Amino acid sequence: MTTTLIPLSSRPPMKRRGRGTWGLRLAPYLFLFPNMLIFGMFTIWPAINGFNMSTYASSNGRTFKPVGMDNYTTILSDAQFWAVARNTVIYAIAFVLISTVLGIALAVLIEKQKRFKVFFRSVFFIPVLISPVVVGLVWGWMLERQNGIVNIGLSWFGIGEVPWLVDNGWSMVSVIGVGVWMQVGFYMLILLAGLQAIDPTLYEAARMDGASPWTQFHSITLPLLQPSVVVVVVLATIHGFQSFDFIYTLTGGGPVGATTLIVQYIYENGFQSPIRYGIASAGGVLLFVVVFLITIVNWLISRKQEAV
Amino acid sequence: MSAQQNPPRTWTSLGNVRLSDALRGVVLTAGALLALIPVLWTVLGAFKSPTELAARPPAFLPDSWALTNFTEALTRFDFGTYLRNSVLVTILATVLTLALNSMAAYALAKYNFRGKNFLFVLTLATIMIPLQVILIPVYQVVAGLGLVNTLWGMIIPAAATPTGVFLLRQYMLSIPDELIEAARVDGSGEFRTFLQIVLPLCTPALAVVAIFSVMWRWNDFLWPLIVAQSADVYTLPVALARFNAEETVPFNLILAMSVVSIIPVVIIYLFFQKQIATGIANTGGK
Repeated sequence: MTTTLIPLSSRPPMKRRGRGTWGLRLAPYLFLFPNMLIFGMFTIWPAINGFNMSTYASSNGRTFKPVGMDNYTTILSDAQFWAVARNTVIYAIAFVLISTVLGIALAVLIEKQKRFKVFFRSVFFIPVLISPVVVGLVWGWMLERQNGIVNIGLSWFGIGEVPWLVDNGWSMVSVIGVGVWMQVGFYMLILLAGLQAIDPTLYEAARMDGASPWTQFHSITLPLLQPSVVVVVVLATIHGFQSFDFIYTLTGGGPVGATTLIVQYIYENGFQSPIRYGIASAGGVLLFVVVFLITIVNWLISRKQEAV
Repeated sequence: MSAQQNPPRTWTSLGNVRLSDALRGVVLTAGALLALIPVLWTVLGAFKSPTELAARPPAFLPDSWALTNFTEALTRFDFGTYLRNSVLVTILATVLTLALNSMAAYALAKYNFRGKNFLFVLTLATIMIPLQVILIPVYQVVAGLGLVNTLWGMIIPAAATPTGVFLLRQYMLSIPDELIEAARVDGSGEFRTFLQIVLPLCTPALAVVAIFSVMWRWNDFLWPLIVAQSADVYTLPVALARFNAEETVPFNLILAMSVVSIIPVVIIYLFFQKQIATGIANTGGK
């Protein structure tokens, strides 16, 4: 390779053959084209068209009737939508709080571990790997009221049958718990990477000054881990607002809609009869606004951090 | 470090290091059991008969380790087809993603051309538009192309991943320009240079993208659920969710097929832990 480099400098660039310059100019566009075509057709155009579609009504996906902002007034006066919005916010907040705190705790504990570090890291990551559909149906089986292993286990401690999936409140607790179980290993891995980037000499210095482990945690670990924590909070929030698959097989959104979140609302309006395409599109636009705001807030926070 | 005026000696400080070590071990072990028991219970359940599953109190171990649940699911029900569909979708989608993303990444990393920055920002901006929010309009496009109820309808729409482009571009930036220039001088065409010189050097980054693509596609659910309208194009997760809800397939067979769906991703994880950790650290794994 090096020998061929030598003639390059002695060679005037203009002498390149016609095919060469032409090819060189066109090449990047040809390389980009297939990827951009797919982006354009299946992401960018639908994103633009999504808002447009939310101003039409359709019950079959073929004939569309322009209705202006009616879908939004309908959705915003729909009691079911507000129940779904409430469920989604409750789920997202609980999910983010619990999985972030638990993720930090697991990462810190595992990082301190001298032996079996890789073992623990792998074990906590396994639930992340499992198909959410399988997570939902397996937990649904384990949380069954009479024959579920969880209630059988609790009965050994004298705790009576908990209505995990049949009571409104308990079913939300189950959905949150299973969501955290499935996802916390992922956040743990991001936080572990953040912990490993912290300079260990800081801890040595703190120990020499006689700082207790708790002092070390909240005056070294937490502040320096903050960028990773922000990433985790953002990812978890977006994940929380978009959860669907494991809930679909765990509770099906029930009992009576107590665990139906926004994506299931969009799915049911769009693809299950009675089909209300416009309502589903409007729901998608509203979800986009929420996700977009979260991203903006995240961007503002990370910029503020850089400025400090 | 404001609160360092003589911290009280607690049981966690220097004197009793071993006690805190032991406590940490206990907490982590309890957590590990909580993470593992449901998986273990699923695997054990996959070998049990319907009567064993209904027994109370349940027996811990199955009566026999025969694979009857697995063979029955594959023969009496069409799980062979769903498994094949899942494998096809996963492999084809991953190959397509690698091809599209690496070409786009190469253009963005190694060429100067008009509109480059705009196209790069546009690519990254699509991260903010998850499928869930454009479900209906994407379905309209797929329906317009006649791809509803086909495997291609599941494969193509999500093939161009913004994070894949980003990751590969970052990696390609580290390849020296001289190498590409030298190939040009040797008379190698642009595409041949990309294929024979650049791609082989990107193997580590390609591996990361491929691993994430496989894990994600294998478990993907919402989009295949919408596209697959007849059973012959169901993927494994779609079949499991549908048959579990309809209760048309006995639960012991559902459990057996659940285990089948878990095995490949766990194997991939155990082999590629390092790449997965790097990938997540670099991109947040999305």
